Amino acid sequence: MKKSKKYKIFRATMLSIYLIAAIIPIYWIILTSFKVPSDLYAYPIIYFPKVLTLSNYSYLFSFAHFLTYFKNSLLLSSISSVISTVISIFSGYVLARYQFKLKNFVIGLLFFSQMIPAYLLMVPQYSMFSQLNLINSLIGLGILYVNIAAAFSTIMARGFFVRIPRSLEEAAMIDGCSKIGALFRITVPLAMPGIAAIFSFSFINDWNELFTAALFLNSDDKYTIPVALYSFISKAGIQWGVLSAGLVVALIPTIIVFAFMQRFIISGLTQGALKE
Amino acid sequence: MVRLLEKRVLYVKGGAKSAPLFIFWMILPVILIISIFTFYPTVNGIILAFENYSVFNFSNIHFVGLKNFNKILSDPLFWTALWNTLWWILLSVVFQFMLGFGLALLMRDPFKGRGIYAGLVFYPWALSGFAIGILWSWLLNAQFGFINDILMKLHITSQGINFLSEPSWAFFSVIMVNIWYGIPFFAIMLLAALQSIPEELYESAQIDGAGVFSRFFHVTIPYVSSTIFATLLLRVIWVMNFPDVIYGMTRGGPGGTTNILATYMINIVYYKNDYSLASAVGVFIITLLMVYSVFYLQFTSKHGSGEF
Repeated sequence: MKKSKKYKIFRATMLSIYLIAAIIPIYWIILTSFKVPSDLYAYPIIYFPKVLTLSNYSYLFSFAHFLTYFKNSLLLSSISSVISTVISIFSGYVLARYQFKLKNFVIGLLFFSQMIPAYLLMVPQYSMFSQLNLINSLIGLGILYVNIAAAFSTIMARGFFVRIPRSLEEAAMIDGCSKIGALFRITVPLAMPGIAAIFSFSFINDWNELFTAALFLNSDDKYTIPVALYSFISKAGIQWGVLSAGLVVALIPTIIVFAFMQRFIISGLTQGALKE
Repeated sequence: MVRLLEKRVLYVKGGAKSAPLFIFWMILPVILIISIFTFYPTVNGIILAFENYSVFNFSNIHFVGLKNFNKILSDPLFWTALWNTLWWILLSVVFQFMLGFGLALLMRDPFKGRGIYAGLVFYPWALSGFAIGILWSWLLNAQFGFINDILMKLHITSQGINFLSEPSWAFFSVIMVNIWYGIPFFAIMLLAALQSIPEELYESAQIDGAGVFSRFFHVTIPYVSSTIFATLLLRVIWVMNFPDVIYGMTRGGPGGTTNILATYMINIVYYKNDYSLASAVGVFIITLLMVYSVFYLQFTSKHGSGEF
């Protein structure tokens, strides 16, 4: 379809406005994190600072134990999402390939569990975990993160597996491959983009989770990055330079995951999850 | 068709005997996990709402009837939070949708660098809502905030607006930020739907003499309407249960004026440590969700859900 020149100018203008609105906040926080204190609270505001400093970052990692928080977040998010992804491969595959009596019931349960938001569960989970001695434990929190991701990941995985032809698996099984063998040798490699999307999706959610973590973790050495940021802003007198550096550390990993996985995440969101 | 396929699968497996066990073991982990850590706590949470479990009372927990519910209903902050929730949902979802749909329409036809452009405008989707809230509270800072500086440079205001400490501005601000945050979701979903519209439909409409607006209302809208409804209705639930941005910006303050039900409940957990009271708010929220999802399911079964 041909577009008039007027439309093209209009479109370019509008697209630029969207772009500016999207990137200015992140640009501003990165800039703030590199400003020296005198520039930070200068008036009029300094848009192009002459001096940049890494002192906010060095404060973060030397005094504020951000390395520990970063490690906690990274381990917690990656291990939890690997586990939930593997679980979702099992269940998603069976739900995509087999017919059985309770299938619709199982799918119904999965969808129903998605209706209950995580923050509503944190109090009963807290009372349950205090009996199991799993308070202030990253393993305990990891179990809850697997729980948050498992159902949605299964729904997504099913959407991906449905679109992979079964003839290859059948051929492998005729050649003597077991059902599990066929799944992991044939189907999983073919569905890799989708599985990577499921993993990234869980990782991003785990990395960003605040409310359960803030209730369950109560000692500094167990904090994840969101909990650390939360304790930063709870203290009187926010140091914006340090906090900005903290935000950059909190945001950059998910931006990187998103940048690499964008195409797959988007196709997973739009096809895997909503396809029913 | 499905039956036929089933027979084929079972035949290839060399017998149906082994399949039920295989299915059972493959499904078991996910069912076990969500039963123990989602469904059991849900039931437990409902029971807690009728008890007196708090940080000051871990041992002598007993049934207290509707005491927690009475306490909530007589709290004016609860009613503020309830009304705020409705405005929060309405304004956030409507503007997220309109701006997201606009972006999707602009991005429908290919242009140079569209892939990179998509990355740059869609990235907020992946960010932590809580971190975004903190980030924006710095941009909206009354003295050193970027937004106030721009407004003053444009002579829209002569002095810095207290975006987060003045109640009406504070609620406006959290909604604005939530809209900013949610645009990529709708843009992603609707762009995928728009790209599935066959080009021939537009061409034949153009041959029939349909103008831009006519094409939009007679080709585009009908084609993506099911996606629009599905995403809008699902988004309502999601936005209702999204306390992250508010928590990063105001934590429901000043004086509870930016609370929605979600932040109201979380504040009871964190600051009053009255877990049974919080569970009572939770029961109220679950009830609202149930009512809404019955409405939602009826609606989608009539109109069909998102088809991609």
